Amino acid sequence: MLMTLTTLILAAVILALLAVAMGWILGWANRTFHVEVDPKLQAINEALPGANCGGCGFVGCGEYAEAIVAGKTELTLCAPGGAGCVELLAKIMGIEVGDSLPYRPVVHCVARYNDRKGHNEYRGEATCQAANMIADVQGCAYGCLGLGDCKAACKYDAIKIEDGLSIIDYTKCVGCKACAKVCPRNIITMTPFKSERILVIACSNQDFGKDVKEVCNVGCIGCKACSRLSDVFQFKGEAKLPSIDYDSYRPGMDFQEVMDKCPMKGMLYVGKPTDRDIDATKDEEAPQVVTVDFKTTVDDAEWRG
Amino acid sequence: MDIFTNLILIFVSAALINNFVLHYFVGICPFLGVSRKVDTAFGMGLAVTFVISIAAFLSWTFTYFILRPEAPLPSWVWQTVSGEPTATVDLSVLSYIMYIFVIASSVQFVEMYVRKFFPPLYKSFGVFLPLITTNCAILFACLEIMKNLQDPTNLWGLGQAMALAVGGGVGFTIAISIMAGIREDLDLCDVPKPLRGAGIALIVAGIMAMAFMGFTGVDKGLEGALSALLK
Repeated sequence: MLMTLTTLILAAVILALLAVAMGWILGWANRTFHVEVDPKLQAINEALPGANCGGCGFVGCGEYAEAIVAGKTELTLCAPGGAGCVELLAKIMGIEVGDSLPYRPVVHCVARYNDRKGHNEYRGEATCQAANMIADVQGCAYGCLGLGDCKAACKYDAIKIEDGLSIIDYTKCVGCKACAKVCPRNIITMTPFKSERILVIACSNQDFGKDVKEVCNVGCIGCKACSRLSDVFQFKGEAKLPSIDYDSYRPGMDFQEVMDKCPMKGMLYVGKPTDRDIDATKDEEAPQVVTVDFKTTVDDAEWRG
Repeated sequence: MDIFTNLILIFVSAALINNFVLHYFVGICPFLGVSRKVDTAFGMGLAVTFVISIAAFLSWTFTYFILRPEAPLPSWVWQTVSGEPTATVDLSVLSYIMYIFVIASSVQFVEMYVRKFFPPLYKSFGVFLPLITTNCAILFACLEIMKNLQDPTNLWGLGQAMALAVGGGVGFTIAISIMAGIREDLDLCDVPKPLRGAGIALIVAGIMAMAFMGFTGVDKGLEGALSALLK
């Protein structure tokens, strides 16, 4: 009896002593080994959305915060945080930041499956990455493959594949660039949304009009009608496709005439639909013009060797 | 068997023959969780080795003086209370709670220390240290040490405890690094869909465990070689 009691008491006392000792040691260590953390760093960490999407180019929000504090990077890189976040960051860092536009991805292709020609049977892995390595999966070497790499990359469920065309839901999109990075044909570009609804060019095909017509019902044939009507549409250098100059683009501009003139109806408004268009066009998206990058575009000269 | 041979045998046995991960299946969580890249896997291995050594040192000390049967401290208290000069107390029941407690607080302490004085080391270890605080591989090492402190006529010294701990840590590092190397290449393989991810990782771990069974019996040969060497 006495034995049991002593064991019990001994056990209790030893554990209690240990707890007190360890608590004291840890408390002492906490004070002695205290490391000053920059209060700015903490504030920035709290201001960032914590989505860890990697859109800023850093591994996570924590690393981006460190880079900001170290002054190594811009404040405007966080797409999910948007303008509010930039404002907060600027306040914390005591820096003035000009207007920052939300950048949103735009798919520069409008052709649904039946609009595209030259389909061949493809039985490979069902990713654009794989299909893009094979010539002649479809006629157009620039357009959307519709196998959904962007959809898989999207953490926000903002992309759907409709009739073999990827469609972005701008109410869900936060602009993390994941889709733009993953698209093997580089037809998704980040576009500055000057208003909630902007005009974009919905084709990426850089070939001559005749060749475009062979592979697509709706592709841009490069007739330059748009650039004759407005300076916003530019054919840069050798480009056979207009690009919209978003520096001179203003949200209030009226492009109805241009859109009527365009024989392929190759430009679209994307983003938030107006009441008038809400039924007609709310799910369509259109691209801004892509700069050609032959390293990453499938083109017979590059691939058939 | 002299002490040197004994230490080497304990070390090799913990590292290869009775590898913690592949023979006892402890520490599977970090083994699967942190084995995607060789770099981080190796870092994790080093962190485990580090923590396991500290834990072994502390648990040996506590077990030897307080927890084992006939441990000096509680026995002395009991003898003073009861007046029987030969009586002993066995506090082994406290081992689990004591080990977890000691490991957790020592790791916390080490983390703070490293953070203050070796910031680069903290940056590379920092992520892993809290993760392995209550890792079962570490508790397993402590319990192994306790097992060898039960028989008062044949007690392990601190050296043997440390050999086991460092050997176990090295074995863990070997296992997790090999695993990470395999998994890096596995990413390029066409794995059947139902097996992707954890499934194929567990299969690989199982095959590795079978491969490590090949070390069984190495201890006898090693012992012979060492005794011939020391003669």
